[in-house]
Amino acid sequence: MIPPLRPYVTSLKTSLLPQSAFSWLTVIYMSLISWLMSGISRYLGASPFTVGLMATLAWIFLALGVGWAFEAKRIKPFGLSIGPWVSGGILCLFLFGSWGGAWLQPALITWPLVSFLVVAVPNLLSWELQPKRPSPAVRQSLALLLGFSLLLSSWFQFYFRLQTWLQDYPSLIADTFDRSAFVYRIPGQAMPLSAGVSYLTQAELLIKDQVHNKPWPGVERWLLNLRGQQHNLQSQVQLSQPASPESSLWQINLGTATQGNGYRLNIQAVWLGPSALDGGYYFEKVCDIMPVAQPAAYGGTGASPRPNAPLPDPANADPSRPAAVSTAWAQVRCQLETPLHQGRP
Amino acid sequence: MSPTDVLADLGLIPIKAVVFQSMLLLVAIALEAMVLRQHLRLGYQTSVQYAATINLLTTSLGWIAFLSLEAVLPTALRQQIMSYVLFSRFFDNPWLDALPVMMVVAAIVVFFATYWVKLQGLSALVALLGKAPVLEAPALSDRPGRSRSSRRGAPSAARSRTATYTLAVLQANALSFTAIVILLFLQLQVVLP
Repeated sequence: MIPPLRPYVTSLKTSLLPQSAFSWLTVIYMSLISWLMSGISRYLGASPFTVGLMATLAWIFLALGVGWAFEAKRIKPFGLSIGPWVSGGILCLFLFGSWGGAWLQPALITWPLVSFLVVAVPNLLSWELQPKRPSPAVRQSLALLLGFSLLLSSWFQFYFRLQTWLQDYPSLIADTFDRSAFVYRIPGQAMPLSAGVSYLTQAELLIKDQVHNKPWPGVERWLLNLRGQQHNLQSQVQLSQPASPESSLWQINLGTATQGNGYRLNIQAVWLGPSALDGGYYFEKVCDIMPVAQPAAYGGTGASPRPNAPLPDPANADPSRPAAVSTAWAQVRCQLETPLHQGRP
Repeated sequence: MSPTDVLADLGLIPIKAVVFQSMLLLVAIALEAMVLRQHLRLGYQTSVQYAATINLLTTSLGWIAFLSLEAVLPTALRQQIMSYVLFSRFFDNPWLDALPVMMVVAAIVVFFATYWVKLQGLSALVALLGKAPVLEAPALSDRPGRSRSSRRGAPSAARSRTATYTLAVLQANALSFTAIVILLFLQLQVVLP
């Protein structure tokens, strides 16, 4: 051996070779061997049971070995013994991570409890798996630890309950949480668009479908029954949006005012749910419905079409085609912006 | 993916709830340890351990009760709870007028429920530790009625021990609830704008 390398080799030897057979390094090596065996058996096409058994053993040895190492090396940040929590974390990763899917939630919720078990089981069971009774001091600290891990688990559950709320009521995310005594939003997140805006866009499409380029008298009749239209619109918009518990909290309001010789239609999406704003809020979109004279598309072939022309004076109308020229058609123009207003309309 | 992205993906985190609750727990444990120490003649360390154990247990059971109750409440009432948790306010819905009464009733129910859980927890803890704290105050046994009953033997001693426990836990709970209500009021009025 090259003489200058000798000290490194010896230090490597002492750190890689366990001092005795009964040490954490042995357990880590057993975990590595189990991984290796699992890989080999998978390569050799062994039954899934064998592969799984080897992988399971590897995980358990890893959890045991790492926990033992934390204890043996006396890694105690702030004087806290974190070995059991690391072991519990590894066990939870193994228990729930291999499920796939939404594994993070059950893993995080059970992590404190599994860590408590990691501490408690060696105190309550002897090496011969006989139940034993630890000293009163240990019993007291175990009771405290149980309470603490239950509380930690509850906090994780509360976090996941919050996420469920926000999934069910996505419009809440667009609000501000400065006044909350419970939650905090980490800054730098993209503010999503409120569902109210997409409700308004959908309502605009539906209204254009029913009114745009339709004969003016029919449109005026449509506007007369505004209550009924509002009701229809509400259910149609709700059907067109993805089903969510919050859809019943959005209410579509319609209001009209005369504007020139046409009408101005206000479409409002009113949020009836919880909000940081006093009295809630609503989004508004303004549409103008105007009568426009258009030669009847179904009738004329010779007349030059004049789209968007103002309503012609009936006196100047072509006497040969009275019906076609005097027909006014509705034109709907909506503004793009949907401003947010505080309160109720 | 940078660490800030991961943090942003967390969404809303209940960090304020965790911090406030830890503070309230520390206050409650300190106050209740004082009361338990006086009534049950315990040492400083033992009384803090007892108070911490029963308070951690009660808080966790309270969380479990809240989380399971919240899942089965009517939708409109759940929305009011969301409103309170997320925005510290209630909003206009059919439950709004009933809420003040419901909150007072809930507070009373919670007070007696925590009292019962703490009492059970304390006696279970004492049984688990296999020791009964030194209870009988000499001043009390001077009274003639008490001395006669103490001569009768174990059952009355157990009864008087239960009475001491009941009184101690009731006083401890009342004290910590008062402190928590004051702190919550201050939090709503001062800490939050």
